[in-house]
Amino acid sequence: MSSVPISAFLALALILFCIGLYGALTKRNTVIVLISIELMLNAVNINLVTFSKYGVAPAITGQVFALFVITVAAAEAAVGLAILIALYRNRKTVNIDEMDQLQG
Amino acid sequence: MENAWLIPLFPLLSFLVLLLFGRKLKIASAYVGIILVLVSFVYSVIVLFERFTAPTHKAEAVWLSIGELQLTAGFEVNQLNALMLVLVSLVSLLVHIYSKGYMDGDERFPVFYAYLGLFTFSMLGLVMSPNLLQTYIFWELVGVGSFLLIGFYFYKESAKQAAKKAFIMTRIGDVGLFIGMILLFWQTGSFEYDEIFAAVGQGEVSEKWITLTAILIFIGAIGKSGQFPLHTWLPDAMEGPTPVSALIHAATMVAAGVYLVAATFPLFAASETALMTVAVIGAITAIFAASIGLVQTDIKRVLAFSTVSQLGYMMLALGSAGYVAGVFHLMTHAFFKALLFLAAGSVIHAVVTQDIEKMGGLWKKLRFTGPLFLIGTLAISGVPLFSGFFSKDEILMAAWAHGNYGLFWLAVIAAFFTAFYMFRLFFMVFSGESRSKMDNVHESPGVMIGPMIVLGVLAVVAGYVNTPWFGAFLGDWLTEGNPALGHGHVEGPAWIMFVATAVSLLGILLAWLMYSKKSLERDWLSSRAPISYNILVNKYFIDEFYKLSFVYAAKAISLFLKFIEIFLVEGIMKAIGGITQAFANTGSKLQNGQVQTYGTVAFVGLAVLLVIFALTGGYLQ
Amino acid sequence: MTFSYFLTFLVFSPLLGIIVLAFMPRTNEKAIKLVGFLATLPALILSLAAYNMYHTGTDLAEFTERVRWITFGDFGSVDENLFTVFYELGIDGFALVMLVLTAVISTLAALASFHIKKEWKGYYMLFLLLVIGMLGVFTAQNLILFFIFFEVTLIPMFFLIGKWGFFEKEKAAYSFLIYNGLGSAILLIVIVLLFARTGTTNIDALRFLMNTPDAPLVTPISDSLKMGLLIALLVAFGIKLPIFPLHSWMLRVHVEAPPSIVMLHSGILLKIGAFGIIRFGMGIFPEQFTDLAFVLAALGVVNLLYGAFLAFIQDDFKMVLAYSSISHMGIVLIGLGALNEAGIQGAIFQVVSHGLISALMFFLVGVMYERTHTSHLSNLGGLAKGMPIAAGFLLAGAMASLGLPGMSGFVSEFMAFLGLFREWPILAAVGTLGIIMTAVYLLRAVLAITFGRADREFDGLTDIRTFEWAPVLVLMGLIVLIGVYPAVLSQPLQATIETIMLGIGG
Repeated sequence: MSSVPISAFLALALILFCIGLYGALTKRNTVIVLISIELMLNAVNINLVTFSKYGVAPAITGQVFALFVITVAAAEAAVGLAILIALYRNRKTVNIDEMDQLQG
Repeated sequence: MENAWLIPLFPLLSFLVLLLFGRKLKIASAYVGIILVLVSFVYSVIVLFERFTAPTHKAEAVWLSIGELQLTAGFEVNQLNALMLVLVSLVSLLVHIYSKGYMDGDERFPVFYAYLGLFTFSMLGLVMSPNLLQTYIFWELVGVGSFLLIGFYFYKESAKQAAKKAFIMTRIGDVGLFIGMILLFWQTGSFEYDEIFAAVGQGEVSEKWITLTAILIFIGAIGKSGQFPLHTWLPDAMEGPTPVSALIHAATMVAAGVYLVAATFPLFAASETALMTVAVIGAITAIFAASIGLVQTDIKRVLAFSTVSQLGYMMLALGSAGYVAGVFHLMTHAFFKALLFLAAGSVIHAVVTQDIEKMGGLWKKLRFTGPLFLIGTLAISGVPLFSGFFSKDEILMAAWAHGNYGLFWLAVIAAFFTAFYMFRLFFMVFSGESRSKMDNVHESPGVMIGPMIVLGVLAVVAGYVNTPWFGAFLGDWLTEGNPALGHGHVEGPAWIMFVATAVSLLGILLAWLMYSKKSLERDWLSSRAPISYNILVNKYFIDEFYKLSFVYAAKAISLFLKFIEIFLVEGIMKAIGGITQAFANTGSKLQNGQVQTYGTVAFVGLAVLLVIFALTGGYLQ
Repeated sequence: MTFSYFLTFLVFSPLLGIIVLAFMPRTNEKAIKLVGFLATLPALILSLAAYNMYHTGTDLAEFTERVRWITFGDFGSVDENLFTVFYELGIDGFALVMLVLTAVISTLAALASFHIKKEWKGYYMLFLLLVIGMLGVFTAQNLILFFIFFEVTLIPMFFLIGKWGFFEKEKAAYSFLIYNGLGSAILLIVIVLLFARTGTTNIDALRFLMNTPDAPLVTPISDSLKMGLLIALLVAFGIKLPIFPLHSWMLRVHVEAPPSIVMLHSGILLKIGAFGIIRFGMGIFPEQFTDLAFVLAALGVVNLLYGAFLAFIQDDFKMVLAYSSISHMGIVLIGLGALNEAGIQGAIFQVVSHGLISALMFFLVGVMYERTHTSHLSNLGGLAKGMPIAAGFLLAGAMASLGLPGMSGFVSEFMAFLGLFREWPILAAVGTLGIIMTAVYLLRAVLAITFGRADREFDGLTDIRTFEWAPVLVLMGLIVLIGVYPAVLSQPLQATIETIMLGIGG
């Protein structure tokens, strides 16, 4: 598997991150936005794992960090969805542009 | 003499005791006041006699140190001070006694005596001061005493206005003294009289500065002594109880201005311009106030204008280098004017009005007051053998000898006016038939007559201490050992005495013809020259002029500043607030609640930062 | 003899009262007032003891205490005290005088607070906190500690005005907070900049570092920056003093805050501005201060006249007194601008004297308002009949305020002008117009209240009674004492003034 170059992993991460960013910034449905954020986090995970294997100083730390990120992401998704459900109950909508209660 | 500093403390004690326990003492407060002032008086007399033989005594201690500078406080007993001590304590004592009768039954009787004590303390302190600073301190305290006593009938609107006016107008003068004193300090390095005089005598201070500071000090005297143009408070000050008018606004405080010029005389003597200013102001005041006095109908106001006029005489004397003449007239005037005021008080006490148009024929009813009033009137008119004759004569001599011929003739005319209006007053009050509603007129009690008799005697004999016939004892003593003060006696042509006598007799005659014999029309002036009569009755419209100029100017400035306050100061504040708020509003609008907008902004910002970082390769230089 | 925690105990003694109050039921009015009053006494006793010790020859340096507090970074290799903030308290003559003044006025204001009508518990707790702040300000030996105490005075003040004030109290409280907050912010910038550049905030150290040509600074400070810092300091303290045109907040506070709080505010809090200018402005940047002296003196004259003329047309007596405070603070500036011994001593005298006089005046305002429920001149009149003693003290206070000799106001006014006439006679001559105007507006106001015919509705007034005697007698006594025997004040100040003059001269 060593034939796959490091740039391929990084490119994949970049593409994933860009898709995630695009989704997070443009989609109206909050569920899609949450999923897009997951995509961005996973792009970061790929980066972490890649550098942990092919970096200047390969070490296990990167992989440990990835595990942490996955955990945090899961927690975040759970909290986010919970808030979303609460909001939905009150507002009968999941559109993110209608959730502007904090505007000045 | 070493303990002369105790003299002012007795009246101060009286003030404090009466302030604290007056309510309990009630009528007994009069005795407290009288006894304590009596002690002061006796002590003053002792000091005066000691001073005849002993040299000047001066003692001082540090009062305030400013870095290297040490300002001192203390007391000095020189000839002038010793004389003033006796004068002030004597008149004060007599007024204390007199008030026992005059103020009887007043609700605030103890307060009155407390104020008298405060005033006497300040006045005695003033005349013992060895330096300008201390003089200024007591100068102001005297003003407060006067203010309190003028406003004694505080519930009267007129008394309130008069008190306020007196304080403020004298304060305008005081500021002149304040500035003069400080400038003199920085020129000579001292507030001490003797050090200042020494510096001036040795020519350490330039002529320009001497003139400036002397005139500034004189402005203080103008305010206190009711000289033109700051005289308007003095007639209004007659709102105070009459004994107060006798003590403060006739005999002592208003003479403080004269005393100040006398005490700083070497300074004035060093500048011809300053002397001339004093003389001119004095002469103008003398004639100006006398002319107003011709037509006034309030007994106390006539006396007030005559006081202003007589003070002008004293200033004229001092300004003509007649140190002795000024001080001499100060002394005689204190006696006969205090007498006149006390007698006027007795009249008012008897008839309960101050309007002389409503009086008349009181000679028979007031058997003591009438003759005593006559003595005072004769003395002030300068009738020979009475004290006023000698001192006025001395002043005219001095003015002539100094070469102020124009001012001399002004003074002669003023003397004529004085004799005329004083006898006009006398005839209107005492001669003729009594008017209606004057049935229950009764002579004042003994406590009021007694002091008047003492003053009456003094008004006659006080002149003989300094006469051209029996030697100028007072003059020689006053100027002894101090050549800067001039000669003890000024030689002048003998005809001056005859002119002075003639004009005063002429004035008396005219008054007699008009108001007693009635062979001349009383409304001679008002019918023939209504305009000038009006001007005189309205005191040359000076009050109105001040009201229109200074009072309104002050109000206008205040209003102008108020606009600045509202539009500029508050405006700046509002502007700052507005700008802040505008910023806040813009910022708040940017917070549109769209999470995705925030995300975009944050991401673009990050990207821009990264690009900058990449281009510059590190920190911003 | 050791005084290791003397000042700490002095400054924080009101804390004792706060703790006791915290455990008291909020309805027990009498006990709360008593505790609130008693809690101010230890500070009073201790400060008087300190004054007494000073007079019997104790060196004030013995009071200094110093504990290492916060260290920023690790510069132990260079200098173990670099970038270290100490908890350090100490006093010099000036601070001692201010400390006594604060303690006296606090105690009297606690008495005056007996007039407060509601929520005594909260009131007294905030009041005591305010006292801590004020005492601390004068004893702090470094800028950070000074700033902390300075802020401690701000917050209780805000609530005291906003909750216990008159009709427009909220507006006044916000106005107070915004202006003073701004001042604090500027002050903080100056302090942080100085700290960053020198590594110390100790006042004596700064005074040395700033005025020694080759002082070991962390980063050098150019002369123009020093000038900028000084101007910033002047603005920060100028708001507090207040200097025209930064004064509008204090007018509101004077009018809207409860009189007992205004006693403290006008009596002491405004003086922190003067204290700061003298201690930090003059002390740390003497050279730059000399350059600005004329501006300050001119501003002083502007303050003096501006306040006087505006006081002349006010109808609310509290407003008259507020403008009178502005006017009198002008004299402080005049004295400082004169920049000689007479001027500076006059300025400090004026600080103390005005503290006493304004405390007295506002106490009397409180007493009058308590009875008549108005402070408008047009509604008042003839009070000398109903309450002669209060009216007498009011008149005496006005006399002290307009600089009557024999009272403290004269000594300070005289010295300030004595100083100014030496440097700028023309400016001083213009300033003397203020002396006349002061008499005009004060007499106008006071006579309108006390003289004239009494309104019928003021018939059953009670004069000064029981606890109200203490403040008027103590304040009047001190005013007269300083007026008659100024050495009581000038003696402790001598060393401070000499230090300042040394800085300016050298």
